[in-house]
Formats: sequence, structure tokens, C-alpha cells
Amino acid sequence: MNGAVPTTIIVVGLALAGYALLMTAINHRMNVPLLAALGVLEILLLVEVGIVVAHLVGGHHPAGLATLIGYLCAIPIVPVAAAFWGLLERSRWGPAVVAVAGLVAAILMVRLHQIWPAIHV
Amino acid sequence: MSEPTASPEQPASPPDSTRTGPGRLLVAVYALFALSASARAGVQIATKFSHAPVAYVLSALAGVVYIIATVTLGRGGPTARRIAVCSCSFELVGVLAVGTWSIADPATFPDATVWSTYGIGYGFVPLVLPVFGLLWLRRVNRRDSIQPTIVT
Repeated sequence: MNGAVPTTIIVVGLALAGYALLMTAINHRMNVPLLAALGVLEILLLVEVGIVVAHLVGGHHPAGLATLIGYLCAIPIVPVAAAFWGLLERSRWGPAVVAVAGLVAAILMVRLHQIWPAIHV
Repeated sequence: MSEPTASPEQPASPPDSTRTGPGRLLVAVYALFALSASARAGVQIATKFSHAPVAYVLSALAGVVYIIATVTLGRGGPTARRIAVCSCSFELVGVLAVGTWSIADPATFPDATVWSTYGIGYGFVPLVLPVFGLLWLRRVNRRDSIQPTIVT
């Protein structure tokens, strides 16, 4: 991958997805450790977005600039939306929503660096 | 003794039943596809429509169908459920038709849509999502027909 930050996000996202799926499998509801892990993911995603924005402000642009900006707007929303929607659910399906968010964060990192392969974050 | 037990007057299946339980996951995944398909189509149509017009129009159509499914599954009233059944059915037909079309006539699709090759670019989730949507709607409807609820 293109640097330590996206690699960390992919590892954290997949680990979060695995943990959340385990909670769904053993019939557990949303809990504080899962929310804390979502918070960690959110912070990492904000760091990633900040660094990419710094590259843009520095005068570099990828070919698919519109798509990249779309990604930069969507990425920070993922953990927040998952926390909100998951907390509304008082069953095992709350953590299942969080699992999707973890997977999506990892996929978004891969796609983001396909849109702009030149940068190293 | 003071512990409250499940009261019989509480509806077994409230109007929001399509968005609770497994429906919570379903609505989340539908919302994800609604956002990604329509945003992708929007960018493609705005920046390079002439490159692959058929593919981009079909992406936009998929985006609209996902938005309708997300909203109707999220609302869950009787009318919303009927619309959700229609949009999930349309989505299943769409992913099968566009998937087959994209394999049979790749020249029409120089750029991929959400439904190209049955949604291969999205891990075939577009193919299984409408199936789960329809199964879920059938289950909720059956539960309601056994224990009818008063819809306010």
C-alpha cells in the first residue's frame, strides 16, 4: 500500500469487522469497546483525509479529481453513520452494521489509492 | 414481581419492522450502494458522458433504485413495503439483465456500471442484495399477516 496510514486503516478496519462479526455471531449488542474502536477508525480516517487534502493544497492533482473529492467527503462519514445506525439497534444486528463500516473503510483506502496512486501517505 | 413482562397490547411488529433486526444491516448496505452508485453516476455523467453513455445512464438508474429501496425499507409502512418489493424486484431483474448484456456486448460498456458482470466490481453484492431484500420483506409481511398490527 501507499504508506503507513492507509495500511493501518486497512488492518484496523478488517480487525474491527472481524470483531463486530464475532459479536453478531455470539448474539452480543453494541458496547463501549466497539464504539471506541469506531472512534479510533474515525481518527485514522481523518488523518488520511487531512494528508490527502494537504497534497491537493500543495498543488498536485490526480486525473480523477472529482471522484477523489467525493471520496474525501464520504470517508469521514462512514464510522459516524455506522455508530448512529448501529446504536439505534438493540440486537446483534447493531455490530453487523459496524462490521460493514470496517470493511468499507478498508475498501475505500484501496480505491482511494487507485484513484491517486502517485501519493504516499 | 415488579419486573415488567411483555404486554399483550404491545404490537408484535411495529410499522418500523423492516428496519430493525436483520433489516438494520440491509438498510445500511442499501444506503451504502445508494450513495456510491448515484455519486459515481453523477461524476461520470458530469465529466465524461460521451465516453460510455449507456453505462452511465444505467449506473444512474441503479443509483435511483437503491435510493428508493433504502428509503422504503427504512420507513417500513404498508405502502413503503409494496414499493420496496417493486424496487428490489426491479433491481434483481436489472442486475441480471445488465450483467448478461455487459458480457454479451462489451463494446457498449467501455466503462463499468454497478451491475456490470452481475456486480463483480462490488464483490457480487448487487446480485445478492435484492434477493436478501425480497426474502426479508416476505418474512416481515408473513409475520404481520399472522399478527396484524394497528398502523397509526
